[in-house]
Order: sequence, then C-alpha cells, then structure tokens
Amino acid sequence: MSPSKTSDDELNAIQNIDKIIHEPARLLLMAHLFVVESADYLFLQRQTGLTWGNISSHLRKLENAGYVAVEKEFIDKKPHTTLKLTEEGRRAFQKYRKNMKQVFEDLPE
Amino acid sequence: MNQKINMKKIERKAYTTYHQDGVIDIAVAVVVILFGIIMLGDMPWLGGIGGVAGILAVSLYAGFKKVVTVPRLGYVKFPQQRAQRMTTIAVALGTLSALMGLVAFLQTTSQGTPDWLMLLIDNYMLTIGTAMAGLFLLGGYAFKTNRIYAYALLTFVMFTIGYFLSFPLYYYLFALGTIILAIGIVLMIRFVQKYPKATETADA
Repeated sequence: MSPSKTSDDELNAIQNIDKIIHEPARLLLMAHLFVVESADYLFLQRQTGLTWGNISSHLRKLENAGYVAVEKEFIDKKPHTTLKLTEEGRRAFQKYRKNMKQVFEDLPE
Repeated sequence: MNQKINMKKIERKAYTTYHQDGVIDIAVAVVVILFGIIMLGDMPWLGGIGGVAGILAVSLYAGFKKVVTVPRLGYVKFPQQRAQRMTTIAVALGTLSALMGLVAFLQTTSQGTPDWLMLLIDNYMLTIGTAMAGLFLLGGYAFKTNRIYAYALLTFVMFTIGYFLSFPLYYYLFALGTIILAIGIVLMIRFVQKYPKATETADA
C-alpha cells in the first residue's frame, strides 16, 4: 500500500467520525444508553455525573439527530420520561466505534 | 481493545450500581429464614409454602426496588437476552426437577424407594446445600453480582460442614439467612446514604 493511499484512508476515517457523537458528554450518554434497553434522566445523571442542564441539552441534540427516542408515560399517575437509543442511534454508535478504532489503528507511531 | 473494555465496564457499572442496594439480599434472606421457620415448626404444608415464599420474594424485590432504588437511582431497563436465557435455564431446571420427582414417585410406588433417591435423602444436607448453591450461582449470573457467587460458596461450605455435624437443618437456614440479611441491610443503608432521593426531575 502506497503512503498516499494510507494517508487517504486515515483522512477518510477521521472525516467519517460522527461529530454529534464525538462530543465527550454526548459520547458518555450514548455509551450508557447503548448498554441498556432504556433509562430515565436520573439514571443517566447518576451514572455519568453530568448536570441536569447538560444532560437535557445534549439529549436534545441526540434526539434531533434521530439517535435517541424520548418516550413520555405515566407511572403511578406521575409523568415519567424514558430514553432509549433508536436503531439509527445504535448503528451510528457502532459506526463511530469502528471509525475511531480504525483511526487509531492506522495512525503511524 | 480499550474501547471494548470500557464498554464492558460501563455495562458492568450500570448493573452493579442497580443491584448494590441490598434488595436481592433482603428478599432472598427472608425466604431462607422463612424456610428455616417451616423446618423448625415441622409443618406438613411445606410444598404450598414454597410457592408462597417465591411470591413473597418477588413482591419484596419489586416493592423495595420501587420505594428505595428507583427514586434514588432512576429507572433503567436492561436488555432482555440475559433474562430470556435465565428463563430458559429456570424452565429447564424446573422440568428436570419435576421429571426427577415423577420418576421418584413412580419408582417408589412400584418398587419401593429407589437407591438414588435414598442416597439423596440420606445425604439431605449435601443435597439441599448443592441445590441452594446452584440457585445462588444462577442468581449471580443473572444479576451479574459477585457477592451472590460468594453466597453460593458460603451455602455449599455451611451445608458441607453441616453434613458432618449433627445440628438440625433449620440452624443452617437461620444462620445463612441472618448473614445474607445483615449484608443486605448494610448495603441498603450505604445505598440510601450514597444516593439521596432526587429533588430535581426531568418531569417536574
């Protein structure tokens, strides 16, 4: 493989990194939602240590990107919001992992 | 590779935090102690109580989770694959036990008590200890919680020692139940202190 081809591959892998997921707080939220089926704000807050405001604003961005689905339901007559990764979100997260792995594997020492 | 390890850590942390509240321990301990009381009272309706104990354990677990865990740690639903695998194992074990019971019944009525059943009955401390340890191992796997594996080991060791001593069975059930209950209560106190009830909610 020629040096220029390797550089192109590296560049492609870096350019393909999903910027929505790449932000650390959003990456943290995506990673936590990836390992569960669904969770609420409080669980995410306890697990990630992020503030309510932070979680709220980042989840809105993930929701707008179609990566997170927000479901509102009533439990014991109280409103309750649960969050889950959409199929698109799961695919995007897997792709992000693959790209990141590729970037670091292909980078020269 | 590092990413894989980190995702595993995140998943494990989610599980362990959720089960670090001592609820499983308290529910299990109550059932073990209840069986001890049944043995102490030499109650003939043992079979019926077995079902009641199961319902009691599930009710206690669900009730404590709702009152103690969810308001402090939040709501989470874990993927179903492991739960489905556990259901399959439980159904297989239940079927195997029922078949063994049926074979034992048929052999006992036609030819008298078979040798293998006599062996299990004669060594009932080892039989019960192994069965309970097996259940704890399944629980440890289902809840991804190491201390439940420790309970399996403790149960096996206690009942093996009991095999060589002449104390009645309920002594060991009370001792095991009390140890697990104490651990459960300590865990719950620590959990409540570490995670106070949330004052802010996204739904307010």
